[in-house]
Amino acid sequence: MLLTENASREITKKALGYVTADDAVVTLESDDYSHLRFAANTFLTSGRREGVSARVTVWIGRRRGSASTTDVSDAALKQAVEDAQAFAKLAPVDVEYLPSLSQQTYKPGEGYVEATARVDLPARARQISDAIAQSEKAKIVGAGFHQVQLTSRASATAHGNFHYERGSMVSLGMTARTPDGSGSGYFSRNHFDAARLDTARIAREAIRRASDSKGARMLPAGSYPVILEAQAVADLLDSGGMSFDARNADEGRSVFALPGGATRVGTRLFDPRINIISDPWRPELSKFTAADDGLPAQTMYMVRNGTVESLRYTRYWAQQKNKQPSGPLALILEPSTPGVSLDEMIKTAKRALLVARFFYIRTVDPRSASVTGLTRDGVWYVENGEIKYPVRNFRFNQSIVLMLGPGNVDAIGVPERVASSEGGTDPLLVPALRLNAFNFTSQSDAV
Amino acid sequence: MIRRQFLKAASTAVGAVTLAPWILEREAAEAAEVDAVKSALAEAALTRAKLLGASYADIRINRYRSESITTRERQVQNVARNQDFGFGVRVLVRGTWGFAASSIVTPEEIRRVTKTAVDIAGANAAFQRRRVTLAPVDPVTASWKSAFEKDPFDVPLDDKIQFLLALNGIALQTTGVSFVNSSMSWVNEQRFLATSEGSRIEQYLIRGQPQFNVTAVNRETGDFQNRRSFGGPQARGYEYMEKYPWKAEVQQAADEAVAKLKATSVEPGRYDLVIHPTNLWLTIHESCGHSTELDRALWWEADYAGTSFLTPDKAGKLRFGSPLVNIVADRVQPTGLATVGYDDDGVKAQRWYLVKDGMFVDWQTTRDLAPLIGRKTSYGCLNADSWGSVPFARMPNVSLEPGAQDTSLDELVAGVEKGILIYGDGSWSIDQQRYNFQFGGQTFREIRNGKIAGMMRDVAYQSRSTDFWGACDGLGGRSTYELNGSFVDGKGEPGQVGVVSHGCPVARFRQINVLNTSVSMT
Repeated sequence: MLLTENASREITKKALGYVTADDAVVTLESDDYSHLRFAANTFLTSGRREGVSARVTVWIGRRRGSASTTDVSDAALKQAVEDAQAFAKLAPVDVEYLPSLSQQTYKPGEGYVEATARVDLPARARQISDAIAQSEKAKIVGAGFHQVQLTSRASATAHGNFHYERGSMVSLGMTARTPDGSGSGYFSRNHFDAARLDTARIAREAIRRASDSKGARMLPAGSYPVILEAQAVADLLDSGGMSFDARNADEGRSVFALPGGATRVGTRLFDPRINIISDPWRPELSKFTAADDGLPAQTMYMVRNGTVESLRYTRYWAQQKNKQPSGPLALILEPSTPGVSLDEMIKTAKRALLVARFFYIRTVDPRSASVTGLTRDGVWYVENGEIKYPVRNFRFNQSIVLMLGPGNVDAIGVPERVASSEGGTDPLLVPALRLNAFNFTSQSDAV
Repeated sequence: MIRRQFLKAASTAVGAVTLAPWILEREAAEAAEVDAVKSALAEAALTRAKLLGASYADIRINRYRSESITTRERQVQNVARNQDFGFGVRVLVRGTWGFAASSIVTPEEIRRVTKTAVDIAGANAAFQRRRVTLAPVDPVTASWKSAFEKDPFDVPLDDKIQFLLALNGIALQTTGVSFVNSSMSWVNEQRFLATSEGSRIEQYLIRGQPQFNVTAVNRETGDFQNRRSFGGPQARGYEYMEKYPWKAEVQQAADEAVAKLKATSVEPGRYDLVIHPTNLWLTIHESCGHSTELDRALWWEADYAGTSFLTPDKAGKLRFGSPLVNIVADRVQPTGLATVGYDDDGVKAQRWYLVKDGMFVDWQTTRDLAPLIGRKTSYGCLNADSWGSVPFARMPNVSLEPGAQDTSLDELVAGVEKGILIYGDGSWSIDQQRYNFQFGGQTFREIRNGKIAGMMRDVAYQSRSTDFWGACDGLGGRSTYELNGSFVDGKGEPGQVGVVSHGCPVARFRQINVLNTSVSMT
């Protein structure tokens, strides 16, 4: 059961009432989370967790201390405040202290749907059983994960700000493997509105890709033109390999830093059709619209028409540089020209590798936003507009900036809501991409 | 002392007692008697579960305390202490698992949540294809404490802050160092497990992760280089800060971060590698630790972390590495992060071989995994990262045994004509079946004709697990053995974070593929 706005206001007000420090922020989160996990065509685990967590951060003479508790009784809140104040007295002066926010203006989000909150256990079990039945019928071994996440977040400050919002999310991901282990397919989607999650389609796609990936051929490592599905693009952009953090760039330790101390703001670093935006109010995203301390999100362009327009600022660094703080990130990559469908990208490709997703992406060199990782669950060779055959997996080493650079982007798709496949449910809006070159550095035996 | 008295007094009024959840202090249990109040609360769950038709049930009532301090240069960025308390109930109904958890620890809530767990299991049981069976375990009543000397939560905060700022100060005195950040995180787990088979187990664990990172920036060229700490997380108390040479290490890190700016960029190709434990632990984790997880091999992890190139039919038959290679799993190494008294099934901690004389021989198992390969007992690998998480198979400490002779690092280096000596872990990546991997590092030194020569940079080594371990032709002795590990090993759906240690000696590997990872932005 989530905390209501009134209950959240009452609890945060109570906690602030115990504060004797100069300044304070109270953040309060409640969640109701349930899951059903299946693998080897059988149910594995299934559960539900409900919880509340309150964090108190205080400043005494600009000295900061913080404590949290999962108990929001009066006594526990009082104890958390006392702990935070005790730590603050022992801490050195926080030279980056800024006063907590006074009353802010918020534009509400639309990311909570009541229907998502009503998890019907037998109905969910039947949905997953149907997905397993589809696998069994296709002689495929299915594994997957269904989850429903409801979250409320509130923050209140000693300077009078209060913010509350709720979010809902339902998600299904499925991996289908042929019994001999020679083919594997994956598909996943999530949404804040349960009515818009097509679980049958997810199962169908995973199973189709598993069958279509059997009999994969080994191709030599090297640079190839590629068609990256939206899932693969989300995996790369959510990997942390390319950060728009302004402070790192100003300090000279980012791909957006230049020799001599300048940054690449104002530089056309990307293909001129590329826009990279943060906007949590986009209807297909509908993400949280404020940070933990109540800082409102902003709609902003990090890259506009290929040019780096703005980097992202914390409150402190924004004050240092006389900029607007950025708030939480809601990442969108969208073209300035009409997007091309994935089918069209395939039909008009002379030669390319179609990549379903990436896995285990890690930063190799932050100076060039270079990452390494592997393809997984589907690579196919496309020639003269047709998918010819499946291909064995590769390891890649690639700079994300150079990948999206001028001259390397051949076609851009229509953005769709996708979350990173490496354990994330945080959605992005990204399109499929057709690129002239992508660097596969070694072959992988893995299926 | 007062806390213990409170518990004893409260045990006589079980039905009305709510365990005071804001109590922060908890003495390490020295007696075998377990917490009577928690036992009474557990009965609420176990009785209810049985009444509702569960064939098995367990409840974990756990408290977690954590503290973290982060600093950069001459300032403290954050000091936080967190507390997390709650319970989770697991039930088996008609051979199907159900789980539910809550942060409200009262008898009424426990009964309500137990019913939720049974309802979930029941709803799913109607569609279940394969019923769970559990390998047997004898019930046990026990109290266990991890091997620490100084509880970090008793150490004054100011001492810890000054320690970190002093480290930063040392680094900043080195010409060329631009930035430094340092931190320490401490965790205390207070676990209580009760099972419907009669086990009652309390455990008190302490672990810590101090670390730092030094950055040197060349503003003229735009180049920057990092050097992260070598000392890794361990299941130790504050004595870790007093006994490990942190100050000497940060000075070395500062010197090396600056030196890396001028180091020679590696020529890609095949090299012999001499790898220090501060790097090799991660390769062990990824290629040995994860590949021998039985649930991965049975495709239970297929939707997230993947499967394994090892399959049940390969135990005893597959050559994993050279005959020098012996990989041991354990949950008993004194400062190992995965070391416990008992796992979350109540199985006693133990030690066993995964790879013996280069041959793959065994798996990591739990009570519900062991029967699937015909085993009568579990190795005790069940674990959950929170009261609110479903326990499942997690990695124990996995280590490479040192060589029989006490061979030194210098002796291994002396046997290399063209090679690289690697310290510290860097980037890491491995495929979904644990075959193809690529690892970076913190420092790289050229080995030429048996001698350590100049510093190199932009190095990553890439190989295939069995090729790599097959290329191991030299192991350091016991005196070179070090323990390192991870505070954040991710696995499972829903995702959980495991803690695990890996010990190894220094080791030599022949003719491994080395990449140059630098990319020009001009």
